[in-house]
Amino acid sequence: MTATREIVTDQREQFAFHDDIAYLRETKRGLTRATVEEISAFKEEPDWMLQYRLRAYEHFLKRPIPTWTDGLDKINFDNIVYYRKPSEREEKSWDDVPDQIKATFEKLGIPEAERKFLAGVGAQYDSEVVYHSVKEELSKLGVVFMGTDQALKEYPEIFRKYFGTVVPAEDNKFSALNAAVWSGGSFVYVPKGIEVPLPLQAYFRINGENTGQFERTLIVVDEDAKVHYIEGCTAPIYATESLHVAVVEVVALPRSKVRYTTIQNWSNDVYNLVTKRAHAHENSTVEWIDANTGSRKTVKFPAIYLRGEGATADIISVAVAGKGQHQDTGAKAVHLAPNTRSRIVSKSVSKDGGRASYRGHLKVSPGATNVVASVRCDALMLDDISRSDTYPYIDIQEDDTSMTHEATVGKVSAEQVFYLMSRGLTENEATNLIVQGFLEVFTKELPMEYAIEFNRLVKLEMEGSLG
Amino acid sequence: MTTESSAASAEASSPSPGPRPRPVRRAPTDLPFRFADKGLAQALAAERAEPDWLRAERIAAFEAFERLPIEPNQLYTTYLDLRNAELSDVRPYLRTASAPNAIASTRLPDGVAGLIDLREDGVAGLVLEPAAIAAGVILETFGASLARDPDGLRAELEGGDGLPDDDKLAALTRGFWSQGIRLHVPAGIRLERPIVMRWAVGVADRALIARTRISLGDGAEATILEELGPSGVIPVDAGQSLLAGSLEVTLGRDARLEVASLQELPPTTIAFQHRHAVIGEGATLQWALAQLGSRLVRSRVDNRLEGDRSSVEQVEIVFGGNDQLFDLTSYTRHVGRDTTGNLLSKGALMDRSRSFMKGMIVIDRSAIGTDSYLGEFGMNLSKATRSVAIPSLEIDQPDCRRAAHSSSVGPIDESQLFYLESRGIPPDEARKFIVLGFLEPVVARVPLEDARDRLRERLEEKWDAGTGAGATAAA
Repeated sequence: MTATREIVTDQREQFAFHDDIAYLRETKRGLTRATVEEISAFKEEPDWMLQYRLRAYEHFLKRPIPTWTDGLDKINFDNIVYYRKPSEREEKSWDDVPDQIKATFEKLGIPEAERKFLAGVGAQYDSEVVYHSVKEELSKLGVVFMGTDQALKEYPEIFRKYFGTVVPAEDNKFSALNAAVWSGGSFVYVPKGIEVPLPLQAYFRINGENTGQFERTLIVVDEDAKVHYIEGCTAPIYATESLHVAVVEVVALPRSKVRYTTIQNWSNDVYNLVTKRAHAHENSTVEWIDANTGSRKTVKFPAIYLRGEGATADIISVAVAGKGQHQDTGAKAVHLAPNTRSRIVSKSVSKDGGRASYRGHLKVSPGATNVVASVRCDALMLDDISRSDTYPYIDIQEDDTSMTHEATVGKVSAEQVFYLMSRGLTENEATNLIVQGFLEVFTKELPMEYAIEFNRLVKLEMEGSLG
Repeated sequence: MTTESSAASAEASSPSPGPRPRPVRRAPTDLPFRFADKGLAQALAAERAEPDWLRAERIAAFEAFERLPIEPNQLYTTYLDLRNAELSDVRPYLRTASAPNAIASTRLPDGVAGLIDLREDGVAGLVLEPAAIAAGVILETFGASLARDPDGLRAELEGGDGLPDDDKLAALTRGFWSQGIRLHVPAGIRLERPIVMRWAVGVADRALIARTRISLGDGAEATILEELGPSGVIPVDAGQSLLAGSLEVTLGRDARLEVASLQELPPTTIAFQHRHAVIGEGATLQWALAQLGSRLVRSRVDNRLEGDRSSVEQVEIVFGGNDQLFDLTSYTRHVGRDTTGNLLSKGALMDRSRSFMKGMIVIDRSAIGTDSYLGEFGMNLSKATRSVAIPSLEIDQPDCRRAAHSSSVGPIDESQLFYLESRGIPPDEARKFIVLGFLEPVVARVPLEDARDRLRERLEEKWDAGTGAGATAAA
């Protein structure tokens, strides 16, 4: 295993870039009540949102820093810019986007992605949606896909009806922080019976040293509708910590189907603390497909509350933890209604001293009869300086639940590597292939373009050479 | 997984305004007793005129008790509920009877190498077979040990190495014990037949706090049957009682120990249990633990696989009824090379009973070649039950033979039921067979046939009581 350790190096800096942007508006470093008021005023928000932010801010102050996962006490909340606006107004067309920002997006491949298959693009540059296009056909279908700030202005009724109902500000310290200073993120509404034919895709991006990014995403899928939403991230590398605290709320109304795919590849200095939760109503299906390869520390447990009879939850969580990284990820399924089903699959890889932790919560509440639930978590450790943890919580309060949980931890087997090398592969290639195979449960759920990108990412994580 | 519940619970614990002092609303994490103070630690030391080191030991433990949180592991803080216990009026025994290493062996029960029978603060019997005495086996109370071999006892107790140092209730036992059993089996001695350790408690408002120290020399072998039961007829509406006890095991090279425990305490008794084992090179430890009685059991087992090729096998069953709560934690730490851990917990719950099964396997970087498995399985037999399983792994060394856990919770298997019914077995009877079969792995490991039969009987009685089958038969 020592051989592997020597050849694996971090190549992520190749994808990190940083442009010097003249920021037009930004708040002072640190967080006070005035900061929150200032953000709300910048955005010319209705009073209810200001009050909501202020209540959340008070709650944020009251909550202690969680200590069940380590390192969060190192975040210096006073050294973060909580709001930064990269350009004065939302851009309607690609031509209007400032060149400097455009150049950054070029590197991320947004134009190609759009040409190829995108239904819509919401690209977040720091804290505001600067570019956004929704194809005409989507508009015709009545699908709303826009920045969350814009949605607050243009669709105030549906916004207010669902905002904060899935993840209350008081849920945890970081959901309170997000509720106080949120900015940007995506808003999706899919009307009754509409199936969005192509994945909706948004790139999120942090730029600017010590810029906090507090995006807020709200996805409401009406009865019998169907949508697939994809997010992916890269970020430039800086010397001091960056903070990403997001909240994602998904409402799957009866008989709808929602899939939310994430490829998280923040740079290794980012604290990525995300609360993601979905409400699954009667006979709806919610799927979180969640991969975490970047960040210094990620704390994220995509959750599904099965509130309606016959709802289905499917969570695939993948984590790769390299040098200096802690991926504290997992999944939660909370069964609140009869005849609901959940499946959780988690795969983690730890290497070069990285730590991958799976935390899961599977709960069957009284009244949720005839539940079927399964959890499978597998961990692969590539060397003995890395660490792998599994912390599943199983809480069953009904008498007819059928629940199974399996977990294993292992290493890349010498036999497999030997076999592949005998077929002409180098040790690097062999290990890479085994890891890719281990993660295939995730990759096969991705659209092809993403699968290619993700495999490339894994390969870069795994290999020292450029091949 | 929120950690903020403590703030809310602190509010809940503050006394409500109004003249009525009782019942006091307590937070799940509030300690249900208040006797453990420095004065008591000193009184215990004074009672037997204990030597300075033991006095210091008690004070150190008391200070640890004061300092430590009730749940040392943040992973488990949400799954702790001491509200079944109401021990505010409970007084611990200050002085218990002493008994030296037995010489009389005439009244030894069949198939037994030794017996120590402790009843509340007394010693009802202590016998050991002549061959064991001749071989140098020691079975005595701490009081007797302190007179006979103070240095030996000091070596075994000082510093509290036999107990986890991060656990509040372990510190309680270390500081406030009034009774103790010391068992030593010298190197190379193999006891063919089991030693029975019987603890009987249940007198209202009394607490028995006791330690058991077991050491096996290199190559020694022993089997222990621990029986926890009522000291008499305890009325169901009696005041609560407490049994806080430890079983502290050290196994020398290639030693072999089997421990079976039958917990049938009265429903008014609260039990705090610590079992802690340090397992030497090539040594083997087997636990078979049956939890039936008590109103609230908070138990913790620590297995430290320190020696290369050491192994532990642990099977534990819970059969819950009424409003019983079984709060069972198990830590297994792999330190040596090529160690083996095989842990299995099974719980069948009736009525409003609950079980919290928390299992943690830690594989240290030094533990190359580990084979570790943890299984936690539950069967909820009533809608008001609650079954929590937290089978965790923390792994620093991937070069293992196996590192896995599995867990399942399910109702009685319909296909098994159908099969039994197709064989002409009435449905109620078939259900009973399936549930008792589910719990059989522990029963089969109980060393004495009489004890095995009695455990099967108790399980059956409990099933009948829980399902009302007994009542129907009587009517």
